Amino acid sequence: MKRAAILFVILASGLHGQEAATITIRKGDTTSVALKSLGGSEGAAATKVLQSDLDLSGWFVLTPPERGTYVIGGSASGGSLQGEVTDQRGSVVLQKTYSGGTRTAAHRFADDIVETITGHKGIASSKIAFAASRTGRKEIYTADYDGANVRQLTHDGAISVAPALSPDGSKLAYTGYQSGYADIYLIDLASGSRNRIVKFPGTNSGAAFSPSGSQIACTLSKDGNPELYVAGTSGSGARRLTRTRGVESSPTWSPDGSQIIYSSDERGGPQLFKIGAGGGSGQLISTGYNYCTEPSWSPDGRKVAFTARTGGFSVAVKDLQSGATTLVASGEDPAWGADSRHLIFSTGSSIVLFDAQTGRSVPIITGLGKVSEPTWSR
Amino acid sequence: MLVETADRRLIISRRLRIPYCTMKKLLTLGVAALLAASFGACKKKGSDAYAGIDGDYVTGTPLPERVEGANFFGSNVTRGQFPPVYFAFDSISVSGSELEKVQQVGSAMKSMNQTLIIAGFTDERGTEEYNRGLGEKRAQAVRDLLISQGVSGGRIQTVSFGEEMPADSGSSESAWVKNRRVEFGVVK
Repeated sequence: MKRAAILFVILASGLHGQEAATITIRKGDTTSVALKSLGGSEGAAATKVLQSDLDLSGWFVLTPPERGTYVIGGSASGGSLQGEVTDQRGSVVLQKTYSGGTRTAAHRFADDIVETITGHKGIASSKIAFAASRTGRKEIYTADYDGANVRQLTHDGAISVAPALSPDGSKLAYTGYQSGYADIYLIDLASGSRNRIVKFPGTNSGAAFSPSGSQIACTLSKDGNPELYVAGTSGSGARRLTRTRGVESSPTWSPDGSQIIYSSDERGGPQLFKIGAGGGSGQLISTGYNYCTEPSWSPDGRKVAFTARTGGFSVAVKDLQSGATTLVASGEDPAWGADSRHLIFSTGSSIVLFDAQTGRSVPIITGLGKVSEPTWSR
Repeated sequence: MLVETADRRLIISRRLRIPYCTMKKLLTLGVAALLAASFGACKKKGSDAYAGIDGDYVTGTPLPERVEGANFFGSNVTRGQFPPVYFAFDSISVSGSELEKVQQVGSAMKSMNQTLIIAGFTDERGTEEYNRGLGEKRAQAVRDLLISQGVSGGRIQTVSFGEEMPADSGSSESAWVKNRRVEFGVVK
């Protein structure tokens, strides 16, 4: 409804310099669905969550029942939800019971609706994490993808930064300074158990989980220069990937785990490079910008989002197939969601959920001081 | 091969934004020792094979094991004994009066036997993780200069705080020039 029939959105606001991005929205990209209020004692709450999820997903236009290509209904009570989706002929295309609390159940139903109707993976059940300065020192926080259920995860009173959620959202790695040096810690989110997994001399930072969750890539300086390494999630068997005179940082894995894109300033300003996860030599990925950092490789493998210096700092997306690079918003540290459509990024005072297909921007985290380095489970 | 070597020196020189004569001096003084130390360390590790014939860099001197409990901002480290060394935006180049500061630290290190921690910092602009790498590179660049002066790399640790712990919390060029720095800490 809100997003019907807007043909061009000019993202001029907040973009520095002359480069304004133009995003074309095609009306045909959305499917009309009708959401009937869910019954049951928790029906109203579940309907609200579901409506928000369907709206934020970007795939749908919500319509009255008689005009929906699909009709969504069901009931919610006692922390579980029975959901049903029918098509125009009345045939059931999805019917399932979800548990785990009203919000969780509604998120799972929303993801199944997205996957059933569009074939794309949903983002409604995903979790995010980020660093925030609210307490005076940066700590790690977690939240649902829509900014609900914000929780302060670390209380280290040191500097806790660079969080990375494992793809399944069960583990979180981050860089902490409790020892006086930068070390990589791993937290099991279900039990809360924490281990310091990488503590070589120098600075150990920027862990990124492989798609399978069994390895991390990170930057270590133990050999006398910040270089990329790949290690097990216990921190064991660290294997060096790069050998340059520059600074390597922010590795991001290809969907199959065979390659890594990262930032390196070996040629002057930081640029994007690609290297085999097993080794090799880095190949330059040209973007047209001379300051390119913190890349995020989309789960569909087709795009890489990164931070470009454009006077200020902008979120840019490079299409790896066409080679085109587009500035999409003003901000830093983009991370792709499971749908390869949405990004989260930092504007400094907020974390924004951004639809890269429509240009729609929704602030999801505010009021926690300076917020930075968001990470997103898949 | 000779041509390639010459090219590479130019690349290094441009990257570090150090005058070629200084670079040449650095190379002649330091590289033999650096190479020896790096190869020695790599041989010990065994499995750490080089990338191949495409060419890469034998960079830096491996850091020594940490002094446990030596926290740069803690009570067991004396900070402020030497003045900070300042840098230009997105640069790791040390020159002029800043180079003199490093030389003074080097001279003092020769008559001391404590371990030195070099902490690298950046200004707030740019992304956090790259700035942690840049801060570390600044610390390592100063460490390399001290090593080329004859200070043992085994006595010099590094740590990067990136854009955290600014010397000046302002958001203007006057604050940023004070924040792009390395600081020295002597382990008690």
